[in-house]
This record gives sequence, structure tokens and C-alpha cells, in this order.
Amino acid sequence: MKPPQRRLAGAFLAGAGSRLLPASLPWRFFGAAAVFHVLAWLALLAGAADWPAWQGGLGWPLAALHLVTLGTLLCSAIGASLQLLPVATRQPVRSQRLMAALGWIYVPGVAVLTLGMGRAEPHWVAAGAVAVLGALAVYGTLLGLNLKGAHGMPGVVLHGWGAMAALLLLAFSAVALVALWLGRPLLDAAAARGLHLLAAAFGVMGLLAFGLSYVLLPMFALSPVPDERRQLASGAAAIAAIALAMVAAFGVAPTALRLAAIAAGTLALALHLQLMRRTLASGMRRDFGRALVLMRIGWGSLALALGLALALVLGAPAAIFGRLFGIAVVGGWLLSFLFGVLQRILPFLAAMHAARGQKRPPTPSALTLDRALAWHLRCHVAALLALAAATAAGAAALATAAALAGLAGALSFGVFFVVLMQRLRQAREGGKPGAALN
Amino acid sequence: MTVAGAPGARTWTADDGLHLDVRGLQAPQPLVLILQMVHEVGPHGVLIVHHDRDPLLLYPELVQIGWWAERIPGEPGEVRLRLAAAP
Repeated sequence: MKPPQRRLAGAFLAGAGSRLLPASLPWRFFGAAAVFHVLAWLALLAGAADWPAWQGGLGWPLAALHLVTLGTLLCSAIGASLQLLPVATRQPVRSQRLMAALGWIYVPGVAVLTLGMGRAEPHWVAAGAVAVLGALAVYGTLLGLNLKGAHGMPGVVLHGWGAMAALLLLAFSAVALVALWLGRPLLDAAAARGLHLLAAAFGVMGLLAFGLSYVLLPMFALSPVPDERRQLASGAAAIAAIALAMVAAFGVAPTALRLAAIAAGTLALALHLQLMRRTLASGMRRDFGRALVLMRIGWGSLALALGLALALVLGAPAAIFGRLFGIAVVGGWLLSFLFGVLQRILPFLAAMHAARGQKRPPTPSALTLDRALAWHLRCHVAALLALAAATAAGAAALATAAALAGLAGALSFGVFFVVLMQRLRQAREGGKPGAALN
Repeated sequence: MTVAGAPGARTWTADDGLHLDVRGLQAPQPLVLILQMVHEVGPHGVLIVHHDRDPLLLYPELVQIGWWAERIPGEPGEVRLRLAAAP
């Protein structure tokens, strides 16, 4: 007898349980990221008066920075990589219990850590850091197992291993910084801070952003896989740039090594952008709207950051240029790129989850509240420009305006996320998502 | 017949429609090839896909363009899908 045929979109996923996570697992990370994004701008609002004179010490500006990096960027990257890497590398999802535990430790850990930073309580920071580092050890293990068993995709895998190595250095530099705040220095403050910035922004997040782009952009644009030799060349140049800058952070031939790092970083970016341009030009879908605008802002901001880094090495005032560099890297590049990606993948993931058991699953666009994303883009750009102006002019009022614009954008993205979850629930209950809210 | 620009992919025509074998290809190449073929066969055609895994990312794309898929029997370890425009 012929086996029964499984029909309709809901049945598609029945045999895919090993690679599609239960909805609650990735969505808890994306939801936490959306909440932390709102809290980041609130923290900046609380610390706007301190912004012009802030030199990187404990306080609300530092809390805002970590609510963005750990809370928004890394939380989203964890959710996205845990769900997408097994799909892309053709492997089963490992230990869902471990993933659930990761969320339960990481999210409260970030909350305690950033609250401790804002209130300048080093012991709270230490307690939060222990939880965050423990959770990141679990994440690193899951990521490492996935990379170890990956089939093909050498460019993505190289970037993944680079991010793993950076995760170790991030943990080491975080411990050194917490030790400094507790009055037990392990490293020179400037070296620890330099290592931390490089490992976190360029090493972990930057390499994940570059590597996952080689899966995500072809998927968004429906185009062939970018040339793998160039992926490897770009990845190798990026890793070399980060390594050179890290050595320079310890005071070893700082000017020469920093110039070499900027040159290697520029080569990495040029190769990466060439691959992205070809991917977009050869795709069946060459324009994916606001998401692509955000990604382009991200790439442009990275180029700007490299220019600012060069100016710093050549003697530009560090107090202003250093913070402009930070805004270009964290806000301009990483945050813009991340939101570009999230705008595309969240409705797709929701549609995949909504398809379970449905005769007519919703389309990704039916799950998306587009107006909220339009407001998010406007406010995001306005906030970054106002923050850069506040830094250049040393004006607390502009920092307040930046925080308010950023908060409006974060709330808009939050509304998009809440509506997406509502429509997903309606779709899974057999309702008609979007009918009431469009 | 091999597919231009995608060594490793094969197509052939049988009584039940156009067949596309994307087994062994790296993501997202199968997704791209399948959607290209969907556009080529048009709204009245049928595409039979031979895959080595359930193509999770394909389904939202199909729904978006008014197509759907059904799982049909295939070889051991194969995910075989019949793709057609939704009625």
C-alpha cells in the first residue's frame, strides 16, 4: 500500500522537528532583545546629562551601551544562530533543554549586569557578569558543536570559529574589567578596554555579521552562494585586522599595528561588500526594501568607522573621535545591520512556525506591521545622527533628543514584534492574522 | 540535465511534471533553484523536487507567491515534494 501523502503547508514541517526549534526558544531571545533595545534608550535618557563628559566608566551611558551590545545584538545573534545554523549546516538542533537554560540564565544576567553598571554597583556587575559568562559558555559550546559538524560552507565556518575565539577573549577581558572595578586589577585598564571592544564588537558580533551574511543575503535576494574563496579571503583579512589591533591594545608598536589593522580591515570590508554587491545584483529579488536600507546604513557606517579609526591613529582628539568611532561601530554598523536582518527573518520564522497544522499558513507579509517598521527606521537614523551631534558638540540636550528618538524607534520595533506574536498566535489558533490590524 | 550555474543539480521531465534534484547542494542554493524553476514552469506547471532535507525556508516563499507543496513518497533519506500553484 502506498504511504499516505502529506499535504498542505502545515504538513511540511511535520518531519522537520529536528531542525525547527519550538517557537518559544528562538522567540524568547528575540523578545528579550526588543525589550533590552527599549531599555537601552531609557538608560541613555537617564544618563544624557553625563554623556558629554563620559569616559567609559560605570554609569547609565555604560549601561545603555551594554543593553545594546549584550541585550540587543548578542541576544538576537544567539536566537538567530541557534535557529538558522542547524538549518544552513544540515544538522539537527542540539539539546533544547540547554538552549532553554541558556535563555533563563542569560537574560536575567544581562539585566543585573546593566543595572549594576547604571547604579555604579561593582558587585552587581560582577554577579551579572558571572551569569552572562556562564550562559555564553553554553552558547559557545552549542555553536562550536554546530561548526564542528558543519557540511560545506567554509567561509561561514571560518567566521564562526573566529567569533568563537573572540568570545573567549571577550570573556577574559570582561573578567579583567570587572576585576578593575572591584579594585583587583588583572590588566592595564586601557588594554582591558581595548581588548574588550575589539573582541565584542569586531570579533564576536562583527564576524558573526559577516559570516551569517553569506547565508542570509543569498536567502533574502534569492541568489547563488557568494564565491567561497573570497569569503575566506575576507574572513582571513578581518581576523588578521582584529588580531593586529588586539596586540596594539597591549602597547606593542601601537601606531604601526593599528595602521596595519585598518588596512586589513579595509581589505576585508572591500571584499565583503564586493560579494554582497554581486549577491544583490545576481538575485531574483534585488530590492528587499527597508531591510536593505538598514543593511546599507550598516555597511556605510563600518566604512565610516574605519575612517574615524584612521583619524584617531593619526592624532585626532580621542575624547570625541573615540566615541564617534563607538557610535559608528555599535549603533551605525551592528545595530542597523541587525535590524535590517530582523525585519526580514522574524516574519519568515513566524510564518514557518505558524504553518504547523494549518491548511493555509499566513504569508510573512501578512504577519508584518509595516508602519511600525517605517517609524523604527526614521527614529533609528535620527537617534544615531543626534547622538553623533551630541558627542561632537558636547551637548547633553542633544543626547536627550537622541535618547527620545531612539526610544520612539525601539517602541515602534516593539509594537512590530508584539503584533507579530499576536498574529502568529492567531494563525496557530486558525484565525486570520492581519485581518484586524492591517 | 544539469542546471546552469549549479553543478550538482539535475532536471528532467517525466509524466508527473518537471523534476529537480537538489540533493547535496549547499544552502541556500536549493531554495534559489527551486524558486527559479517555479517561475519557469509557470502557474499551470508541476515541479517535483528531490531534496535531502525538509526545506524549511522554502515554504514561506511558496506561500508568498501562491504556491504550495505536498510531501510524496521518495527514496529512503530523500524528501520528495510536489510543488504546484495553490488552487
